[in-house]
Amino acid sequence: MPLPKRIWQWFTRTRVGRSIFRIGLPESNLERSQVMVSSFLLHVQPAKVNRHSLRASYSLGLGLILLYLFLILIVTGVLLMFYYVPSTEKAYDIMKDLQYVVSAGLVIRNMHRWAAHLMVLFVLLHMCRVFYTGAYKRPREFNWVIGVGLFLLTLGLSFTGYLLPWDQLAFWAITVGTNIAGYAPVIGPKLKYLLLGGNVVGQEALTRFYALHVIVLPTAALFMVAIHLWRVRKDGGLSRPDEPGDIVQQIELKQLPTNKTYGLMELARGTTPQVGKNPEDEVFAWPHLVFRELLLFLLVMAVVLFLAIFWNAPLEELANPIHPPNPAKAPWYFLGLQELVSYSAFWGGVVVPGLLVTALMLLPYMDRQRKGVGRWFARERAVANTIFSVCLVIAIALTVIGTLFRGPNWGWVVPWKQPPAITEGH
Amino acid sequence: MNHSPSENKSEVSRRSFFQLTLGWLASTFAVAASAAGAVRFLVPNVLYEPSLRFKAGKPDDYPDGSVTFMEAERVFLVRQGNTFRCLSAICTHLGCTVNRADHGYHCPCHGSVFDDQGAVKSGPAPRGLEWFQVTLSKDNRLLVDKNQRVAADKYLIL
Repeated sequence: MPLPKRIWQWFTRTRVGRSIFRIGLPESNLERSQVMVSSFLLHVQPAKVNRHSLRASYSLGLGLILLYLFLILIVTGVLLMFYYVPSTEKAYDIMKDLQYVVSAGLVIRNMHRWAAHLMVLFVLLHMCRVFYTGAYKRPREFNWVIGVGLFLLTLGLSFTGYLLPWDQLAFWAITVGTNIAGYAPVIGPKLKYLLLGGNVVGQEALTRFYALHVIVLPTAALFMVAIHLWRVRKDGGLSRPDEPGDIVQQIELKQLPTNKTYGLMELARGTTPQVGKNPEDEVFAWPHLVFRELLLFLLVMAVVLFLAIFWNAPLEELANPIHPPNPAKAPWYFLGLQELVSYSAFWGGVVVPGLLVTALMLLPYMDRQRKGVGRWFARERAVANTIFSVCLVIAIALTVIGTLFRGPNWGWVVPWKQPPAITEGH
Repeated sequence: MNHSPSENKSEVSRRSFFQLTLGWLASTFAVAASAAGAVRFLVPNVLYEPSLRFKAGKPDDYPDGSVTFMEAERVFLVRQGNTFRCLSAICTHLGCTVNRADHGYHCPCHGSVFDDQGAVKSGPAPRGLEWFQVTLSKDNRLLVDKNQRVAADKYLIL
């Protein structure tokens, strides 16, 4: 037996160790269940999981990757808070300090930046996975809606964080972004005034974005992630195809006789993994699930560190309200939106995104087909998948155009040709 | 809850009346008033922004036929002969600062083009650039008031 394991086993058998961990490293199936149930961190997960849920080719681990990215963002974000001051006079200098003076400051800021970019990307991928496997259908409709909320929160977090370095990139992306908000009917101008704490992007706006970025939005996201995960369990774990022998019919709570008392187990819903399932389909979460989760965490950390070490987060010149960079571009995930806005601010900035979000929220309630859950690209879902794919391709195309094919004055450029230098016209 | 048998069932009982008024209405009011107070708290009463009324120097500082960009105020001061006008440099589309071109103005963010009169020639801008009132102060300085919007053909003639 290796030495660390021996020390661990000795410790968990001492009085102190037992008071903390209750179950040491599990040796039997009973202990494998107990270790999951008795630990605060592990009890969020079931003691036994369906084999289908463990298949990497089904879930691709996207939700878990997002959770890890979020954790990396919290830790690196808190570290950055120890230096950062939300002041228009100091913020930019502190960014320079983080790059050149603070030990590991550059890598930690880079990690925060890349994890944030990856989080937006993986929210989109996660949404695609859930759509193409039909996983948003009953009883998981509301969890999809919470997911859309988390998507918006991710964008909000990213957008508010974008201003904090107080460089040119930050200043103009936020100027453009908040002006789009100003186009919203009726409440638009008031919303913009409230968001900026004034008419222009200045100290008040920086203070407000800071408060939103470090406390308001992360707390909201944390709360909604908790509900999202809790509902995954309550809705019967990951979606999977119906198997023979499953109790497909759900026991609705209201159908039970009301004139008797029930134990908690009797009130559990009929779709939980344990009910009506073959025991052969289930494996113990310890070690099968826990091991995979740790492995995936290592992978995510490795990728984020790799990106952070080899590619620096951008930092342009100090914010200058006089000279917008030409072209002034929003973050990449908003460039599809900016491309639309270049045709019409109201239609592109308010109507199209508004309709898209509404459609996403209502989707699980509009699509009543029960078939094709738990399989990628199910034949029964050809129509829904086609519509979704068309929207996706349009969104990607607009983003690619905005990112690569738009140059000075938002004119057309081809990415393989360097655009001519712009001379200031003033 | 034993009510006297003679009590009329359709009448609102004292208990449900108090539940409605003191319970539900008061709770709703408390929540709504707190929310309204919080939102009002977030609306600033004082802005520490540059003043919208500013002096732009002596009329002779600007040569005839010149268009001068004033950085801090983000406006162009336009002189033609003995006439003076002031044009906003903030694009009406999404608030970028426009650049002076050979003829008119270009917005670098989304490609709006304005002519010399500030009217939209092309691009997504919904309106032309704003013109601001220019007057002469008592000490013979040009006085621009960005609160006062005027038509493109309104000049200060000296």
